[in-house]
Amino acid sequence: MAREKTIQVTVNGRAFEKTVSVRRSLADFIREDLHYTGTHLGCEHGVCGACTVSMNGRSVRSCLTLAVQADGAEITTIEGLRNEDGTRHPIQQAFLEGFALQCGYCTPGFLITAIEFLEENPDPTEAEVREALSGNLCRCSGYQAIVDAVMSMSGKPAPENA
Amino acid sequence: MADTRFVNQKMVGTSVVPDEAIPLVEGEGRFLNDIRLPGMYHAAFLRSQHAHARILSIDAGAARQMPGVIQVMTGKEMLGKVDPFESMPNRFSGGQSTQHWLAVEKVRFVGEAVCVVVAEDRAIAEDAIDLIEVEYDPLPAVTDPRLGEKDDAPLVHETCPNNYLIKRDYERGNVDEAFEKAHLVVKRAFSIGRKQALCLEGRGCVAAYRESAFTLTMWMSHQLPYVVRHYLAKHLRLGEHEVRVIAPHTGGGFGQKASIYPEEFVCAHLALGLRRPVKWVEDRLENMVASTHARDQQIELAAAVDDQGRILALDSNVWVDVGAYSTYLWSAGMEPLQTAGLMPGPYQIEALRYVTRGVATNKTPVGPYRAVGRPSASASLELLIDDAARRLDIDPVEMRLRNLIPGEKMPYRNANNLVHDNVNYVPCLKLTAAKAEYDKLRAEQAQASDNGKLRGIGVACFAELTGLGTSTAVGPGTLLQPGRDAVTLRLETTGVLTIAAALPSQGQRIMTAMTQVAADELGIKLSDITGLTNDTAMAPYGFGTFASRTAVFGSGAVIKAARELRRRILALAAHLMEVPETDLTIVDSVVQTVDRAKTMTLREMTDQSYFSAKHIPEDLNPGFEVTSFYDPKFGSFAAGAHTVVVDVDPQTGHVEIVRYVAAEDVGTIINPAVVEGQIIGGIAQGIGEALMEELVYDADGQPKTVTLADYTIPSALEIPTIELHHANTPSAALGGFKGCGEGSIIGAVGAVACAVADALNRNGGDITAFPATPERVLTGLGVLPTDS
Ligand code: FES
Ligand code: FES
Repeated sequence: MAREKTIQVTVNGRAFEKTVSVRRSLADFIREDLHYTGTHLGCEHGVCGACTVSMNGRSVRSCLTLAVQADGAEITTIEGLRNEDGTRHPIQQAFLEGFALQCGYCTPGFLITAIEFLEENPDPTEAEVREALSGNLCRCSGYQAIVDAVMSMSGKPAPENA
Repeated sequence: MADTRFVNQKMVGTSVVPDEAIPLVEGEGRFLNDIRLPGMYHAAFLRSQHAHARILSIDAGAARQMPGVIQVMTGKEMLGKVDPFESMPNRFSGGQSTQHWLAVEKVRFVGEAVCVVVAEDRAIAEDAIDLIEVEYDPLPAVTDPRLGEKDDAPLVHETCPNNYLIKRDYERGNVDEAFEKAHLVVKRAFSIGRKQALCLEGRGCVAAYRESAFTLTMWMSHQLPYVVRHYLAKHLRLGEHEVRVIAPHTGGGFGQKASIYPEEFVCAHLALGLRRPVKWVEDRLENMVASTHARDQQIELAAAVDDQGRILALDSNVWVDVGAYSTYLWSAGMEPLQTAGLMPGPYQIEALRYVTRGVATNKTPVGPYRAVGRPSASASLELLIDDAARRLDIDPVEMRLRNLIPGEKMPYRNANNLVHDNVNYVPCLKLTAAKAEYDKLRAEQAQASDNGKLRGIGVACFAELTGLGTSTAVGPGTLLQPGRDAVTLRLETTGVLTIAAALPSQGQRIMTAMTQVAADELGIKLSDITGLTNDTAMAPYGFGTFASRTAVFGSGAVIKAARELRRRILALAAHLMEVPETDLTIVDSVVQTVDRAKTMTLREMTDQSYFSAKHIPEDLNPGFEVTSFYDPKFGSFAAGAHTVVVDVDPQTGHVEIVRYVAAEDVGTIINPAVVEGQIIGGIAQGIGEALMEELVYDADGQPKTVTLADYTIPSALEIPTIELHHANTPSAALGGFKGCGEGSIIGAVGAVACAVADALNRNGGDITAFPATPERVLTGLGVLPTDS
C-alpha cells in the first residue's frame, strides 16, 4: 500500500490539495498541515469528542478519522463557524453570553455537535439536549451552562454553517 | 464587554460577559499544542512498563541511528548535570524520596520516564522509542498501603522506612476523657479510590533557547508560571532573570498542573543543550499514568457523642496511598495532613486526635487535585453523623444544626487550631433544607415507592479555607509557602487601563474579575480595561492559581494599586483642570467635578501626562503605573450545604441523582455567572468522584484504567440540573471576597455518599467504599458477596 496519498478537501470553504501520509489522522491533518488549531485533541481514542468536526454535514471524530478518508469531503471546523461578515455564529454567541465555557478546550466539539443536533431537532427538550451532548466530555462546566446555551437556541431558525 | 451602565452601577456583582472567552469560542485560543516555532524539535518519553524494577541496561543504539532522531538521553547521562527533585525528610517519619527526571537504577511506577528521544517530529520520536531496549530486573511491588507499612514489606525507597513518606500524630483537647464520658461512640470505615483530575488537555511544554532576552523561555500548560520559573532556574542552575515562563491557554488545571514534573524540565535541559526549541505534548495514555493522581484513602473514624447528639471528640486513623514519590513542591503530606487535619470541617470539635500516614507505593505519585483531602474527610464525617443521628433518633439535619459553628460563637477556634469567622454555616444548612423542602422529602421517602427504587436523601455541610495568606502554613514538608501576589495597573497613553498579573485562569476568568474590581475602584469603563497575564516577562510576581486563592489575591492587589493610581489621577487632573482635588470624581473614564461643570477624559489627561510633561510639575506627574502586593494574612472560610436525593435500583445497583440543591457562602461575589460555573463544575466532579471515577491497579502495580473508556467521568446525562442558592457573607479580606473554586466538590462527595448510604439503609444495607459503583452498591445491599 502506498504510504502517501494526495487528497482534495474543502475546509471552512477553502479548497486544499495536499499529499498526506496514509496514517495521518484527520485531526493532525487539520491542525498540523492546515493550521486550523481550533480543533482540539482530548484523548485521541474517540471518547471525549473535543476533536469533533463536521464532515459533509455530519459530525465526526477527527482523531478516529484518517485524512485520506476525507478525500473529496467538505469539512467545517470551529474556525469556519463565523458568519460571512465576521460576526459570531449564533451558537458561539449563545455559548459566550451563557458562560458555557470555562477552559474552552471542549468547546469546539460541543459547538459542532450542537449545530448538527439543532439542524435535526430545532426545538429540543432538555433531556434531548443532554442525550445529544452525551458524547462530548467537559470537565469544567458541569454541563448546565452548555445545556442552557443550546436550549436557548431552541425555536430559532436553524443556524446555517458558513 | 457591555459598554453602557447605569450611573453608579457597580461592576462587582454583575455577570459581565468575559472578553477573555472570545478567542476560545471562536476557535482562536492558543493552547500549548498550538505553539510551533521555527526549527522546533519534538520529544517523546520511553516509560516504564514495570511497577518496580532495577534497570540493568539500556540499549539505545538503534534509536540513535534512526534518521530524524536528534538525541537520545538516559537518566544516567543526565546525572550531575541537573539537580533531581528531592523531598524534605519528613519531620516525623524521616521518610524521604529523590526523583530523578529520568529513572536511574530503579523504576518505581508504571509510566515513569526512563529515556527521552528528541527528533524532527513526534512520529519519528515515538517510533524511535520503540527501538530502545531496556533490560529490567523486576522487584516485588508495593501496591497496598496497609501491607506496605509493615516492617517486612519491600521498600519503594531505601530512605523511607516502612514506606512512610509521611506520618504524623496529633492530639488536642482531652480525647480519651470525651470517649469515656460519651453517651454514644460511633465508628465507621471509609475508603475512596484513586482519582485523576482529568484535565481535558494534558500537560506539555515548548522550551526555547535564547528567545528575546532570555536564556530559556518556557511555554508550559501550568497554573504557576513564577513558581515554575523559580524551580527551573534552581534545577538547571540558571538565574531566575534568565528564565521566562508563559502559560498559554490551558485546558483545565484542577491542581494537576500545579506540581513540578520531570518531563518539562527534561525538555528545558535538552533545549539548552541543543540550542533549539523542544516541544513535548502529553497524550492521554501518558496523562493517565504520568500526571499526578489524587485521593486514594482509607479512613477509620470514631466520634464521641453526648445524648443531645453533640460531638465531643473525633479520633481518626488515615492511610493515603501516595504513590512512588513525594510530589515535588507540595510533598506527599498534602492528602494525609489535610484529610486528617481538616476532619472537623464546619463543626464545633473541642477534642481531636489523629494518626495519618502517606505510604509510598509503586504507583503514580498522588498530588493536588481540587479540594485536596477535604472531600474524603468531609464524606467520612458526614456518614458518621448520619449513623449517630440514626442511633440517637435525631433527624440528620437537626444533628448537624446542633454541631455546626454558629455565627454567635465566632471567631471560633477549632481543635485543629483554625479560626472560623465571617462564615455562614448555619444559614447555608437552613437554606438548602428550606429550598429542597427537606421535611417534605423525608415524608415522601417514608412512603413506599412504587418504582421499586430505594430513595435516599443526603445532606452535607462543609468548610473550605480559601485565599490563604502568609500566616497560614500550607503544611509541613511543602517546599513553598505562598502568600503575596502582585498586580500592576498602568494607564496607557490612550487612557486605557492595563492590568498585569501572573495569575493564570483555566476558565475561572480571573482577569475578568480583576477588571470588574478595577472598574469600580477607578471609575473606568470596562471597555477601557485590558489584561496581560500568565507571562513572567510581562506581569509582576505572583504565586499563581491554586487553593481557591487567585480571585482573592488578584482583587485585593487591584484594590490596593487602584487606590494609589486614583490618588495620582486626581492630583494631576486637579492641576490640569484647575479645580480642587476634593471636587473631583471619576465616572465612566472621565474625571469630572461633582456638578459635572468641568470634565476631562482620562485619555486627555494621560495624553498630557506622557506628551506634554514639560508643562507639568514633576511631583504631580509620577507616572501612571502602580504595582501593589497583597497578602490577606489569614485565609477566609467559604462554606456550603448540599442536599441530594437519589434513587438506587436494587436490581442493577445504579444510582440516579433525582435532585440536587446547593446553598453556598462564597463571600462577596464578583461575577455571579462565573461563580455559578465554578460551583456547578465542582459539584459535577464531586458526583463523578462519589459515583464513578476510579483508577484501578492490579496487585502487581499494573494500571487497569489508562483510557477514557476505562476511567469514566460524568457526561451531561449523569449530571442533574443543580439548584444553586446563596447565603453569602463577606470575608475579612479586601473587598470581602472568598475563594470558590474548590468548596463545592467537598459538599458533593459528602452529600452524594450520604444519600446513597441512606438509600441502602432502607433495605438494611450500607456502603463504606467509594465510588459507589453498581457493584459496590449491590455488595452493600448484600446482593453480591462482600469479597467480590
Ligand atoms: S480526541 Fe477525538 S474523541 Fe477525544
Ligand atoms: S470548558 Fe474545560 S473541558 Fe469544557
